[in-house]
Amino acid sequence: MHLSRRAVLKGVGATIALPFLDAMAPAGRGLRAAERKIRLICVEMVHGSAGSSLIGARKNLWAPAGVGRDFDLTPTSLRSLAPFRDTLTIVSNTDCPSADPFTASEIGGDHFRSSAVFLTQAHPKQTNGADVHAGLSLDQLYAQRFGQTTPIPSMQVCIEKDDQGGGCGYGYSCAYTDTISWASPTRPLPMVRDPRVVFDTLFGVLRLNESPAERREQLALDRSILDWVQASTRRLQATLGAGDRARLADYLDNVREVERRIRAVEAFSLSGEVREQPEAPAGVPDSFSDHVKLMFDLQVLAFASDVTRVFAFKLGRDNSNRTYPESGFGGAFHPTSHHSGKEAKILEFARLNAYHVSMIPYVLEKLKNTPDGDGHLLDNTVLLYGSAMGDSNQHNHKRVPFFIAGHGGGAFKGGQHLKAANGTPLANVMISVLHRLGVDDIASFGDSEGRFEL
Amino acid sequence: MTKTFIGIVAMAAALAAAESSNITGTWNMGLEGDHVIPVALVLKQDGRNLTGTIALPTQNAGSRVEVKLTGEFADGAFKLSGTVEGAKEPTTLAISGKLLDDGSMEGKFEMPGHGHGGMSWTAERLKERK
Repeated sequence: MHLSRRAVLKGVGATIALPFLDAMAPAGRGLRAAERKIRLICVEMVHGSAGSSLIGARKNLWAPAGVGRDFDLTPTSLRSLAPFRDTLTIVSNTDCPSADPFTASEIGGDHFRSSAVFLTQAHPKQTNGADVHAGLSLDQLYAQRFGQTTPIPSMQVCIEKDDQGGGCGYGYSCAYTDTISWASPTRPLPMVRDPRVVFDTLFGVLRLNESPAERREQLALDRSILDWVQASTRRLQATLGAGDRARLADYLDNVREVERRIRAVEAFSLSGEVREQPEAPAGVPDSFSDHVKLMFDLQVLAFASDVTRVFAFKLGRDNSNRTYPESGFGGAFHPTSHHSGKEAKILEFARLNAYHVSMIPYVLEKLKNTPDGDGHLLDNTVLLYGSAMGDSNQHNHKRVPFFIAGHGGGAFKGGQHLKAANGTPLANVMISVLHRLGVDDIASFGDSEGRFEL
Repeated sequence: MTKTFIGIVAMAAALAAAESSNITGTWNMGLEGDHVIPVALVLKQDGRNLTGTIALPTQNAGSRVEVKLTGEFADGAFKLSGTVEGAKEPTTLAISGKLLDDGSMEGKFEMPGHGHGGMSWTAERLKERK
């Protein structure tokens, strides 16, 4: 029996898209290379990197010393990526000049501009009002081109408090700090912090105006959305071959497991216990790593079921004083990034950078273990990670941290460190990334001055 | 003829020096506290006389106060002073600095009575863009 790629499991109040199954391929063949769709994850972490300072650059705290294929990740904040070295393209020594001040009144507003610059490479207009203006972001350019055939063109998720509204400081709207994703130069896209909202969006779950009390009642019932689609699941399984049945069972197990973890977090949040982030929605775990991993698991499920192919993921917020005890260093993020140029403090900041990067192997491993046609998702995914801030102590935008993970269906060789000539805009790299991903009819992106050979 | 030529060259050199040592403009100034705080220093030089403003961050994160400055520039070095209007207590500030060969500036920033012995600073001309 042939199955449509858009077949779903349906129940009252939930719709679960399916992973790619053999039954979906014409005449029983696998997914051919030409049919593969490249998934894109754009991850931003604020505050630059310790390796962007002069001392940090000398000590290779971000970029390795060796260029080309011969590089050593050991001293760098990227060392946790060593098992995925062959998928890695490190691009160092680029700048984000659009995050610099252009006028006297913009001097000092670097924290309030940076996030808006990361994926747009455009200079944000200084305004507290609704007349915000930055640029079309890379993720949205890709989604507008390749995300239109999926149920959701793109999703935007974040870890820290978002949607503060109004002005954030130095005459800049909070829209510039809240999001990295811009559907047009004037349309910033809100980011979702609550894993429950992401889950419900992906699986078409309807919860109309559910109050906390009603939510507690639902949690007490301990029912999974998989229960809602049980009949539909049984009907489909009866028509599938053994391989597809196993693939479907693995996928539904993963859905159930992610849902279980979200429910556990919600149950804790609504129990009256003291929370580290009391203002956060109930689905937000206290632990940074738990939160990031949940969000990554949801992204992998979304890619596996082809509900969407594009995620923008904001890991932090400028000026955040969050601490990361799991990093082994207790200092708050923003003050630690202000290291006074002192080596001991720069090394402490590097520990936080390394901890943040250490979240990435988790998703790369998950992608690698998730089938996608005749390969796995990691073959067909590109993850960009970086910041528009360079040395946060100087509030500059030079030597910004940036790397690419994943081969993107063969678009990226991987296993290399490319050091740009001094003064190269990161936008040159971004337009080259877009060209490699098939958006090859654009002549410029943000403040790009040319292409960068990847 | 030779004397005239030397005179013209000397005059041109003096004019070039005066031009290059004019510090009129917008400067991206980095106050070196426990981290580098970028502030806008806007100056106008008229002969030896200097006027201008500095936009200092306040205790309320994300907000600034603009302080008017007056001072004097001579022999590549300058002194500026101003009073922070609207402060709870009378607050004055003093800035001293010099122009460096590479066109940047450096110096000392002081707010007497505010618990620190002054901050070093460096500044570069802002490349104003639209």
